Amino acid sequence: MGTTASQLAKDSLSEYQELTFLTKQEILLAHRRFTELLERDERKNLNSRVPMEIIHTLPELKSNPFKTRICQVFSTSEDRDGSLTFEDFLDLLSAFSDSATLEIKSHYAFRIFDFDDDGTLDERDLEKLVNCLTGETEDTRLNDEEMKQLINNILDESDIDKDGTVNLSEFQHVISRSPDFVSSFKIVL
Amino acid sequence: MSSASEPVVGRSRSFLAAKRHRTVRKNSRRIYSTYRDHQQGSSDEERGDNKEVDSNDPEEMFQNIQFQKEIIANIRSRPWPMRRKLKVLKQAREIVLKYEGQLTRTRGYQTAGADLLKKLYRVLYNIVVTFIPWEVRIKKIESHFGSGVASYFIFLRWLFGINIVLTIMTGSFVVLPELLAGAPFGTTRSKTIPKEHLASAQDLDTIWSLGGYLQYSVLFYGYYGSVRKIGSAGYRLPLAYFLVGMAVFAYSFIILLRKMAKNSRLSLASASDENFTFCWRVFCAWDYLIGNPEAAECKGAAIVNNIREAIVEEQEKKKDTSLAVLISLRILANILVLLSLAGSIYIIYFVVDRSQKLEQEKPELTLWEKNEVSVVVSLITMIAPSAFELVAQLEMYHPRTSLRFQLARVLVLYLGNLYSLIIALLDKVNSMSSAPHASSSNWTNTSSTISSLSSQLSRISVSEHHNSTMATISTAINFIHNRSSLVTAYNQTIPFEKNARSQQDQCWETYVGQEMLKLSIIDMIFTVASILLIDFIRGLVVRYLSDCCCWDLESKFPEYGEFKIAENVLHLIYNQGMIWMGAFFSPCLPAFNVLKLIGLMYLRSWAVLTCNVPHQQVFRASRSNNFYLAMLLFMLFLCMLPTIFAIVRYRPSEHCGPFSGQEKIYDIISDTVASDFPLWFSKVMSYITSPVVVLPAVLLLFMLIYYLQAIARSLKFTNNQLRIQLQTERTEDKKKVFQMAAARLQVPEASADKNPDQQENDIPSQEGSIHTSSPQQNGSVSNIQSPINRSNSVRTISQSASGADLNEERVSGFVRSPGVIVLPKHQVEPISNRPRHFIGGRSGSCRSKSCHHMAYNPPSGLSNAIHTDPLYRKTIRSLHPVEAAGIIAAQNYGRHRGPTTRYVFVNEHRPRKKLLCSTTRIPRHYLLEEPTEILELYPRNIKHYTPRTIHQQQPPRSHTAQQLIKEEEETGKDRKRTSLGKSLRPCSLPDHHHQAHFYIGERLDSFRESQRAGYEMQEDDEEEAGKEGIDWGHFNLPSPSQTSIKEKESFHTQRHPVHSPRRQYQSPTRARHMGSQLKPKLKGQLETHLTESDSASIASSSDQQNSSTDQYIQVIHSKERHVRSDVRQEKVSKKKHKTNFDLNCTESNDLICSNV
Repeated sequence: MGTTASQLAKDSLSEYQELTFLTKQEILLAHRRFTELLERDERKNLNSRVPMEIIHTLPELKSNPFKTRICQVFSTSEDRDGSLTFEDFLDLLSAFSDSATLEIKSHYAFRIFDFDDDGTLDERDLEKLVNCLTGETEDTRLNDEEMKQLINNILDESDIDKDGTVNLSEFQHVISRSPDFVSSFKIVL
Repeated sequence: MSSASEPVVGRSRSFLAAKRHRTVRKNSRRIYSTYRDHQQGSSDEERGDNKEVDSNDPEEMFQNIQFQKEIIANIRSRPWPMRRKLKVLKQAREIVLKYEGQLTRTRGYQTAGADLLKKLYRVLYNIVVTFIPWEVRIKKIESHFGSGVASYFIFLRWLFGINIVLTIMTGSFVVLPELLAGAPFGTTRSKTIPKEHLASAQDLDTIWSLGGYLQYSVLFYGYYGSVRKIGSAGYRLPLAYFLVGMAVFAYSFIILLRKMAKNSRLSLASASDENFTFCWRVFCAWDYLIGNPEAAECKGAAIVNNIREAIVEEQEKKKDTSLAVLISLRILANILVLLSLAGSIYIIYFVVDRSQKLEQEKPELTLWEKNEVSVVVSLITMIAPSAFELVAQLEMYHPRTSLRFQLARVLVLYLGNLYSLIIALLDKVNSMSSAPHASSSNWTNTSSTISSLSSQLSRISVSEHHNSTMATISTAINFIHNRSSLVTAYNQTIPFEKNARSQQDQCWETYVGQEMLKLSIIDMIFTVASILLIDFIRGLVVRYLSDCCCWDLESKFPEYGEFKIAENVLHLIYNQGMIWMGAFFSPCLPAFNVLKLIGLMYLRSWAVLTCNVPHQQVFRASRSNNFYLAMLLFMLFLCMLPTIFAIVRYRPSEHCGPFSGQEKIYDIISDTVASDFPLWFSKVMSYITSPVVVLPAVLLLFMLIYYLQAIARSLKFTNNQLRIQLQTERTEDKKKVFQMAAARLQVPEASADKNPDQQENDIPSQEGSIHTSSPQQNGSVSNIQSPINRSNSVRTISQSASGADLNEERVSGFVRSPGVIVLPKHQVEPISNRPRHFIGGRSGSCRSKSCHHMAYNPPSGLSNAIHTDPLYRKTIRSLHPVEAAGIIAAQNYGRHRGPTTRYVFVNEHRPRKKLLCSTTRIPRHYLLEEPTEILELYPRNIKHYTPRTIHQQQPPRSHTAQQLIKEEEETGKDRKRTSLGKSLRPCSLPDHHHQAHFYIGERLDSFRESQRAGYEMQEDDEEEAGKEGIDWGHFNLPSPSQTSIKEKESFHTQRHPVHSPRRQYQSPTRARHMGSQLKPKLKGQLETHLTESDSASIASSSDQQNSSTDQYIQVIHSKERHVRSDVRQEKVSKKKHKTNFDLNCTESNDLICSNV
């Protein structure tokens, strides 16, 4: 651990602690795990990106149905390829950490579920979301009728302003009532 | 508007202050805008700008710094990418640094100190995190199996923490002093192994059954010396022993309650009853911690099941599958469970009894006989839950329900086991504690025997009084024994060794401790065995034999073992219960439990990671947390009882343990107080423990409890109110959105009548919230009123803002699409508070397809129709017309302020009625029409009238007054009645009801008179009278005076009685209308306007305040008869009216305000 610590400058480490919900150990661990994903010659450079496909090999993300969306949401890449820098990676871990607030978690959850990035969850988003959850195989997939009813029910419950979509505040309202969202919206390295 | 007014105010106060205020505002805005702009990516200019914010005003600077600090403090909870956060942080820090230096030096130091503290705190936190045991392990499990499984381990860790503290308590205050300063092993009789046992003291089976050296060790109660003070420091071991024993319970209680309080505080947010079943199942379904592909697959399948289940449930909410079979199955299942519970309890009792007998009969016991009890108990605790699970399949409950049942049953089983065990043990103790007496009398000299006998005699005589318990009887037997032994004591000499042996063997506290420890050990062995056998071996078999087997082992029969969170947690609770039960008699039990928990932790986590799959039905982790804790608390309480009972009830053993020779264990306290404390202290203690102090203290406690409970109740109440308020607010929000949506729609006017069905479908759902809330609040009208008042103002504002244009737009909305039609209706709401009811009434009429006619007259060219159709819907009829009337009236009233808009209420009755019109009434009609401002008719009572006249102009008043006088003559009696009712404003339902009856009597008379006068068909008349009553209600409603409203209420509530006078009154009006020029006009328009949407027309009419229009509201009664207008309906209507009228009042006021 000492070797990795030396790679992260002390002040940036403390800054990261300031800016994320992570502890020092977690940041160091994250750094180690992250550098493992990088090519050897890129390891010195803090701004080098790891492409999405490699991020997905992390066991913590491997079986997550939203892994693509997660990478896309946290990526600051210009060409929207979902590649992450170390800082993006820290952002990701911070949002998914134990001590992150409900607000920030629900914010990111919303963005993850918002597949077309238009700021609201409309029917297509919801459909994609459900498909992600159920998987694409024929026997697990919901048929059209079920899907329609499910989406209608979801909108019935959450769409307060009846505009046919779920916006962020509506989403957060629903999520904040959920007993176990905070405990399950976590990723631990 | 507020921003405009603020600077003005500021300037007027002091120019300087205002200036500063503004600059601060500006700066703050700039600072905030920095972040807003960051989102668009342009921050450089702003930063430059920020640096220029360089003024010499320290206040401003301070503000600025505060802002920056706020930003620094909250930056981590902003959903920005890291780079931006870094940038902002750097910038904010720069500003803070820069300006802070310019501020006073102390502030700089303060912040430096705060920074240092923060750093220290962070370092400490980092250190603490590393010392949390098994953090990594739990995280790993969490990341494989999700939070559910992890919650078990977290719970285990928490229990481990508790046991550590308990171990430290007992270890440092009891065990260590005894070891260090107490009499060494072998010096006293209680610490010596009897000779005949010495040979076998090191045998494995002796050790195994906790005999031999173990029995005479610090493990058990019996080893501790009864010397008051030990060591050179004079440590009071017996006292410490007692206090620690109590402290164990106290600490457990406190820590449990604190944890529970914390948890419930955390879960407060989710305390509301709102249930977003579908949303949660989709949005919160995935457990992001799951990293194991198998677990992920499992979870995915579970989610699909869950969603499907919800859909199916929704599709067929009520599915009755052969209810009889189901019920009988469930009964059978419960009987089975009860039988097995009773059986297990009986078996335990039987086994304990048998072991007791065996011990007495046989000198040497086999290994099985020694461990029989604990083995049987452990077996039962292992097997019975599985049996329950099988039984539960019979019941066919929803999985979650069945899980609850399962948990409850298992808990009862565990408790039953523990209790039957402890009762059997105590029973044994009873017989044991009687035996020592016999021998002790031999051993002690006669005088002491006699004294003890006399003391016992007195004790028995006392206890004889309440000879209800078995124990008393045993004492009695005891006494007899004693006497007989006393007789023998004189001539018998029994070898000392024999006596000593029996005394030492009969140390019942040690015996209980031994049993508990044995039970704990056996339980541990069984747990380990079950993990190895059921989980590990099975996992191995499934994994490696699945290839060479004809069916799929992994998914069919043996499968992998499931990790059953709930049952495992229950097992932990049970285990902890044993510890609590035995801790007093075996001080090392917590220490043993610590070891056990550590072992369990490693074994379980290993087993989970290697050979378990998560339970399909995951018990919701966070919610169940408090559930577990509650069960633990329950367990603690129940486990404390036997211990406390034993301490209080039984006499401690004579020759072993720290309390030997005492009458009761707790005597140690009073002894210590008496002997070791100064005199004054014991005096004080005696005062404090006297009833003089204790009784008031208890009383005070009760009062305190009551008071706190009252507070809690009131808080709950407020909570509820707030929630209701929130709900209304949310519906308001909804409505606002509707308004906006409606405003966007523009279509020429059309009719809503074409799609009444859709309206009906939509409206009830939207009405739901308010309708449901209002009945709840019957008692407290104010609750509803306040939110609505507020909403009112909002609405009116929006109304005025949107202006008359909206009107048209709204109307047009109807035509466009049927789906949209709901919106305009809501649009109407702002105008009148009652829209829902109105709409309801409207839709009701639509439904009936017998829409009758609305009257209406739009000089301005806008077609407005106000249509009240009170009569035809059975259920709705009673409610809606009145409310609709209320709307109209309210609008009416408000409109009077502005340019003239007149409503004419026209009652169209059957033709035959028209004939009845009397000419005298015609002036009335004119009265209505002519005064441009006023429309309200107050036929009933002058009292009501007066308040209104204040607002109104003179001419109508005089006219109406005349009319009223006439009316009064006609209905003098009635009016008196009504005035009675009126005078009390907040009249309750019963009042109305009562009144109603009253009226019936009265009115019937007059009714008959009127009949005589020429009405035909009583039934018809009655009905119509009712309708008329409603109509009159319309007129009355607008009045601000509440008394009138009240009266109206009474009228509505009992339409029948009221009718006759009114009818007389009304029919003329009707006739008048018919006779007058209005009639043709109305008729001409009837058809055309039928097509319009009523609500829209209302909206528009209210908007047209500036156009001078005469609006006629024609209420037409059909000839349908609702002879059977249910009492129920009436009641409902009463309720509604009550609330509604109040609302109306406030509403009309609001309207006026807005108009002014």
